[in-house]
Amino acid sequence: MLTTHLPRLILGALLGGFLALIYGWLIRPVEYVDTTPDSLRTDFRTDYVLMVAESYSADQDLDLAQFRLAALGPLPPDVYATDAIDYALELSFSRTDLEHLNQLALALRALPQPGEIQAP
Amino acid sequence: MSRSGWFPFLIGIGLGLAGGLYYAWLINPVEYTDTAPDSLRADFRSDYLALIASAYAATDDLVRARTRLALFSGLEPSTELAALAQQRLAGGFGEFGEVEAAALAQLAADLANQPRSPTSTATRGPSTASTPVPTPLPSSTPRPTPTPGAPFSLASQEQVCNPLLAAPLIQVEVSDAAEGGVPGVEIVVVWDAGQDHFFTGLKPELGQGYADFTMTEGVSYTLRLADSGQLVTDLSTHPCERPDGIPYLGSWLIHFQQTP
Repeated sequence: MLTTHLPRLILGALLGGFLALIYGWLIRPVEYVDTTPDSLRTDFRTDYVLMVAESYSADQDLDLAQFRLAALGPLPPDVYATDAIDYALELSFSRTDLEHLNQLALALRALPQPGEIQAP
Repeated sequence: MSRSGWFPFLIGIGLGLAGGLYYAWLINPVEYTDTAPDSLRADFRSDYLALIASAYAATDDLVRARTRLALFSGLEPSTELAALAQQRLAGGFGEFGEVEAAALAQLAADLANQPRSPTSTATRGPSTASTPVPTPLPSSTPRPTPTPGAPFSLASQEQVCNPLLAAPLIQVEVSDAAEGGVPGVEIVVVWDAGQDHFFTGLKPELGQGYADFTMTEGVSYTLRLADSGQLVTDLSTHPCERPDGIPYLGSWLIHFQQTP
């Protein structure tokens, strides 16, 4: 009994899997909607950090900059600034852009780290 | 194939589908990586647009702001940014919400003031960060921004009877010394039961320096520019009459101008 039906079962499973892939990849592929900034591609993420840095260069509001960078994920905000600088150097961003990013990174690094004991 | 022969085949298809979905949803579910700003959730999209405006307010780089806005398909920048500015003001975003609202209003007004040229759209790529935008050449038409430090003063104040207006308005026009409309100027209006503030440039089709506020009949309003101490008092609706004799409520037109 099993020997008789097994090939059909396997054939059906293969066909079912194939149909699932056709449906999932061609008929109704994944659409990226309602995503969050932490999933942004590296270039967009870098541009996001650059916008924060540009804004910070004018208003010097580090709290607001941190708030905006927090949308990129759970890491300390200076990590995102550093990553952005690395990418900007790699792609030869303009000197002004690099200065903005550097200014933001320096300000963020100057903040006390979590758990750090401040001198009186 | 007999009926009994189809049965295991169909069972197999069902198992295949179930296995595929189990793999796709539980074992190796979709992870959103390498997404573009266009796919952001509505609230993050709003924050992103506000950030574009804030960066523009800091750099004055309209070309770069346009490039960033072009990442959002179907975006009507001048109208959507203006609406977003209103939301920022009304949405309890606190102090930085007001700053962002002003930046959004400024960008909306500047975009409406300087329509995108056909050549710039054709050459623009989808990514902004990987292709740094060159510094634009100085524009021959200077933006009508107020001269820093130069105050605005009340130039005129008049009652308006315009039957085409759907409601009685306080219409405000803010211009620089050269009579150019100035967008992004915050206006505060106060009445006995509350206060509100709004910005010029949110209705660019009516002028870069234009803003209006709807009055309620019987209420007396006092108005001032946020950065000015000069008050315009006793603004209230007044009776007007259409040519066919039908009465309606009239508006005010207040004009502030920057002193040279």
